[in-house]
Amino acid sequence: MNVKYITFFLLGIALILVYVFVNPNEVDFLPKCPFYFFTGLYCPGCGSQRATHQLLNFNILGVLQQNLMYVVGLFIIGYHLIIKGINTFFNKNVYNFIYHPKTPFLLLLFIIVFWILRNIPLYPFNLLAPK
Amino acid sequence: MDQIQPKNYLIESILVTMCCCQPLGIVGIVFASQVNSKYAVGDYAGAIQASKEAKKWVTWGFVSGLIIIAGTLVIYGAIFLATLNDVF
Repeated sequence: MNVKYITFFLLGIALILVYVFVNPNEVDFLPKCPFYFFTGLYCPGCGSQRATHQLLNFNILGVLQQNLMYVVGLFIIGYHLIIKGINTFFNKNVYNFIYHPKTPFLLLLFIIVFWILRNIPLYPFNLLAPK
Repeated sequence: MDQIQPKNYLIESILVTMCCCQPLGIVGIVFASQVNSKYAVGDYAGAIQASKEAKKWVTWGFVSGLIIIAGTLVIYGAIFLATLNDVF
């Protein structure tokens, strides 16, 4: 059990170090998105590795440029962790909007619209595509 | 609302979608949406069923993502070794 946690911890540190120092735009060895590879279209997750690199170098504008959904996803995950932390450690019962009936549907709508828009190669939309 | 809402796997679905196994992650979000809406109208059995489906798709998305990433790394490794052979 302990060995497992230490392995995950070291693996996490190694991954963070890789994404701090390696810009995925400049190297070939990081895995490419299989959807982009086969279809030539961007998926909603395309640009996440580049966005991770920008985030770890504290370049928030760079993160927005690579993948808007990454920011939304991080925001939702952060929100969930904070609410969960408050409820667990302070024994409260704060309502978590993750369980609201409309939340997943809105998110789904956002992802599909984002997916379509970022593949349109015209000016206002191509800002959404990863660079 | 006397029953606890089943886990909806929304967070896990977002993670799978963001990390490039997109079709399965989006299916996960669809089922997460069903968990919430079915629970809201009092259909507990349906919500539990949707939760199980969401878990299944998220798990498959995660596993297939790992396999694809491992596969790409193997292919790049092979190309790298082949280039080394050409150089030396």
